[in-house]
Amino acid sequence: MSDLLQLQGVTKRFGGLTAVNDVSLSVREGQIYSLIGPNGAGKTTLFNLISAVFRPTSGSILFQGQDLTRMPTHALARLGIARTFQNLAVFKHETVVNNLLVGMHSHLRSDPFSSALFWGRTRREELRARDRVEEIIDFLEIEDIRDHPVGTLSYGQQKRVELGRALAISPKLLLLDEMVSGMNQEEREDIARFILDLKDELGMTVFMVEHDMGIVMDISDRVCVVNYGSKIAEGTPSEIAQNPAVVEAYLGTKRSAA
Amino acid sequence: MRTGHFKEATGQLVALSDSRVVWFFVALLLAACVAAPFLLGNYQVTLMVSALIAVIGAVGLNMLTGTTGLISLGQAGFLAVGAYTNAILMMDYGWPVWLSLPAGGLVAALISILVGVPSLRLKGLYLAITTLAFAFIINHIILYAEPLTHGPNGIFVSGAKVLGVDLQRGKALYYLTLGTTVLVVLAALNIQRSRVGRAWMAIRDHDIAARVMGVDLVRYKLLAFMVSSFIVGIAGGLISLQIRFVNIDVFALILSIEALAIIILGGLGSIAGAVLGALFLSFLPEVIRLFFETFADSSSNFYTSYVYEIRGIAYGVVIVAFLRLKPEGLIGLWRDIRKYWSNWPLAY
Repeated sequence: MSDLLQLQGVTKRFGGLTAVNDVSLSVREGQIYSLIGPNGAGKTTLFNLISAVFRPTSGSILFQGQDLTRMPTHALARLGIARTFQNLAVFKHETVVNNLLVGMHSHLRSDPFSSALFWGRTRREELRARDRVEEIIDFLEIEDIRDHPVGTLSYGQQKRVELGRALAISPKLLLLDEMVSGMNQEEREDIARFILDLKDELGMTVFMVEHDMGIVMDISDRVCVVNYGSKIAEGTPSEIAQNPAVVEAYLGTKRSAA
Repeated sequence: MRTGHFKEATGQLVALSDSRVVWFFVALLLAACVAAPFLLGNYQVTLMVSALIAVIGAVGLNMLTGTTGLISLGQAGFLAVGAYTNAILMMDYGWPVWLSLPAGGLVAALISILVGVPSLRLKGLYLAITTLAFAFIINHIILYAEPLTHGPNGIFVSGAKVLGVDLQRGKALYYLTLGTTVLVVLAALNIQRSRVGRAWMAIRDHDIAARVMGVDLVRYKLLAFMVSSFIVGIAGGLISLQIRFVNIDVFALILSIEALAIIILGGLGSIAGAVLGALFLSFLPEVIRLFFETFADSSSNFYTSYVYEIRGIAYGVVIVAFLRLKPEGLIGLWRDIRKYWSNWPLAY
């Protein structure tokens, strides 16, 4: 299997602060790749760089050989890159169905004229989009809330809607930013199951930032650890758990008792 | 309580409404609108034309402010552009009205790109001020570009004929306005339930998430300006046909504020709300007049001498009352009533 996403020497500075420092990594097709690190390590900044919300100060980000660093943010959906946000970024006044349909945006073609007529091709593509959205609703088991405005739902449900919206892009690469934070045990297990299903059944590549070590260790194929913006370790979950540098970053160094 | 309404095909989910009852009442309403000029006097028909023009303008503004979340105080400017374009093309260049009316919309749409460019950077109040400035600039251009716009003299608009029928006489203008209203409302409803409308509401609710979902912000914000201004421009053209004389005083700042009041009163983001709000605020002065005529015979002089003040106070009271008591607007009120009846006799 080949590399789907490749970061080469990616650095991002905000003024005097180096949030991401010379990070290189590669995510293979069909992998579940986890990015972990203490708070403020630069994980979300790295995600914002990959999804072209920020531009790197230097370095390159290649997706299937195409450089993402010069692309407009909205072009990524068409390439097949979807993401969720650490803090909810749903369209809260709209229904679940409409939120998911926005995810289909890059798969649809209609312009204001054809939309206003809502006839022929536009109607057919809306029907197809709606069918696809119903499939996702079915997959995520959110049938009973499909017509609710998202702002009225619980936190866990809103996160699930956000995942659904990302899935509506039909992505090759799915970026999940702290998907299970603030969820209860049952909701976490549901999300872990969804992620495994996406990988096994659809062959989707999942790149996630996660604080929940249980999920990271259970379902990841590879784990990358960052601290103070730099990559300090990479490997399988079991390798990472035994890596002294990782233990140090999380727990601090052991001092001999004086 | 109603039960047993099942949807069996995706087509029913995408439809504007798959309820026969709804379509029956829509047909009834349309029939009533078509029959109205035969049952009402000239004065009432004129009132209805004004109300329908307000509906068109409100639906246009709602696309920009309600759906896309871009506040505009430039509606008077776009109305003026539509009205003047229609008047100039008809009277000075002899265009037929069926060409000059859409042309008014097109010119307004093109000019809106200029106004829309700052919106790529500005939001909320800052954008409101920018659009307000635009309305003043349009005012000045119209006043000083005398060779084109006849400056302070204004333009008389007459002789709008289609197939020999004088559109400005009798019932013809009413039917033209009614037809335009139906088309505009239908187009707006269709846009709202398709890709473009969803992209707009995505921009309103969370613009970064919208970008990540593949929505090109520059393109869709400018499109919102263009489509909205096209509709408002056509409303302006209709105004010029109705009042038969365009002059810059017609398009005062208060018009922009009234337009904003209409869509807030109706319920932001809802097309039905925009329609209800426009009808409500258009007929409110009539209700007040009737009130004074019925209950205050001796003081009907009081009404005629303070008509503008009374009207202004009534607008203000209504807007404050709605913002305080029912921020979802008339459409929220309507939903409450509907819920009450479908659940009756239960409370929930």
